Amino acid sequence: MFYAQLAVNGLVQGLVVGLAALSITLVFGIARFPNAATGDAMTLGAYSGLVVHRDTGSLALGSLASVGAAALVLVLAYVAVFRRLAGRSVVALLVASIGVGFVVRAALGVAFGHSQLVFQLPLARPYVVGGLRITPLDLQLAGIAAVALAVVFAILYLTPIGRQMRAVADDPDLARVSGIRPARVMLAMWALAGAVAGVGGLMLGIKTIVMPDIGWDLLLPAFAAAILGGIGSPVGAVLAGLLLGMTQEISTPFVGFTYKIAISFVVMLIVLLVRPRGLLGRLEGTR
Amino acid sequence: MEAYLAAIAVIALIYVLLSLGLNLQYGLTGLINFGHVGFFAIGAYASAILALRGVPLVACFAAAAALAGIAAWPIGLISLRLRDDYFAIVTLGFSEIVRLVVTSERWLTNGVQGIPGIPRLFASLEGPAAQLATLAVILAVVVLAAWIMRRIGKSPFGRVLEGIRDNEEAVKALGKDPAGFKIQVLIVGSALAGIAGAFYAHYITYIVPEQFIPLVTFYVWMAVIMGGVGRVSGAVVGAGILMLFLEGSRFARDVLPGISEVEMASIRLGLVGVMLILFTLYRPQGLMGDYTRR
Repeated sequence: MFYAQLAVNGLVQGLVVGLAALSITLVFGIARFPNAATGDAMTLGAYSGLVVHRDTGSLALGSLASVGAAALVLVLAYVAVFRRLAGRSVVALLVASIGVGFVVRAALGVAFGHSQLVFQLPLARPYVVGGLRITPLDLQLAGIAAVALAVVFAILYLTPIGRQMRAVADDPDLARVSGIRPARVMLAMWALAGAVAGVGGLMLGIKTIVMPDIGWDLLLPAFAAAILGGIGSPVGAVLAGLLLGMTQEISTPFVGFTYKIAISFVVMLIVLLVRPRGLLGRLEGTR
Repeated sequence: MEAYLAAIAVIALIYVLLSLGLNLQYGLTGLINFGHVGFFAIGAYASAILALRGVPLVACFAAAAALAGIAAWPIGLISLRLRDDYFAIVTLGFSEIVRLVVTSERWLTNGVQGIPGIPRLFASLEGPAAQLATLAVILAVVVLAAWIMRRIGKSPFGRVLEGIRDNEEAVKALGKDPAGFKIQVLIVGSALAGIAGAFYAHYITYIVPEQFIPLVTFYVWMAVIMGGVGRVSGAVVGAGILMLFLEGSRFARDVLPGISEVEMASIRLGLVGVMLILFTLYRPQGLMGDYTRR
């Protein structure tokens, strides 16, 4: 029962990691580099949501602000930086994405300082279901995540632009000769990746605290989940995020509070060495 | 004033050592090591812990280099099997794990409180003489390391490394095994970072996990990219510019009042980000780099 409770607690954490991994895997699958600015886009989402929620009192408006701000910053980063580096080595893109992340985090640090901020949400009595304590807040957060995921997967699998994105992810050259315009697909992809990161950031901010470092600290579990799920596999990323988030919580009694982060690193290493295509990924060279 | 300049020089030379190591790994061989600070931390903690247990300082430095080098070995074994970008993520993760370990293992590292009172080099000398002696020693180590790096760059060994960077398949086709070369390069570069860490620990005399955040890795990356990828002179020039930047931002607060230390830290982070972006966009070969190639 104790472990079931931990698993429930890990669920929201896992959804946050899953959303971050989804953002990473979208970029990795289509733009073909690990976007290290994902974490800081999430932080931006958390701050935007916090400010709007504080000023309007509406969590819905706050979510919109999170999504909008994070999507905007990644689209801007694409237009200003990543687009010009197309065709250059992965290192160039990776280093540039680190730079973008630093700039975002620095701007947040200057604007809001380094003190911890929290979402002012009313405390509510947890529901008890079959001995498990579930807080209404966690249910709300899970609901937000479910809606966000439903929208993302609908875009990916039910709309023309989503189909084009998946085509580019599959084979960029084949997509181009089929008449798919790469520029539009890239813009849509970055906006989607940013929006997903924004939702993740909002949830992270509500669940824990808001500080300039929160997104960066999540980057390692997020990369681990993206790799575990299989690079380029949106479903895999979300599942792997859930799995890692819950594993981290369940393992806490055994490995302690600080080392639970190391679990994602170990999982990532094992996956890379044993099954580099992850749970649901296609066979692709990671070596 | 002299003391201040000597202090800056020592820190700058520590960054030169770190840059030389990264330059060997990334500049010459093309290995994207995002975990450099991890090896720096291993060197610093190893030397500090041993020195406080009464081990002679020379042995401490040797242990720092050896331990950092040994830590690089498994990372090297993994690197043989991974593509560049995955290797970058793994090394970044490694340095964060090192920081987790030094934060958590309080019996060994005193956790977040850190290790105070690490013995200085030449503690028997009085006043400025100790600092000058320290400066001389680290300068000698840097010159030696730079000379070795130049020799490596010009040697057949170095040409194989450049071959691995530019076209690994071609190197394999010529009958060389890139795996062994990559491991050696990782170990040598990390051992240099370990020595740099030992100098750092014995110079600052106080280390905490907070000093070994990934930002330090990217300071070194900034130095290598600005100076010129693959050039020994580039590592030196880049570390010099980095030091001007880090110290300059300290003086900027005197000129521009009303900026708190916390804000300055953010501004510094942002400037590092801008530099990384601008150099990858417009001058990937760096200031001292080879202008004939991109």
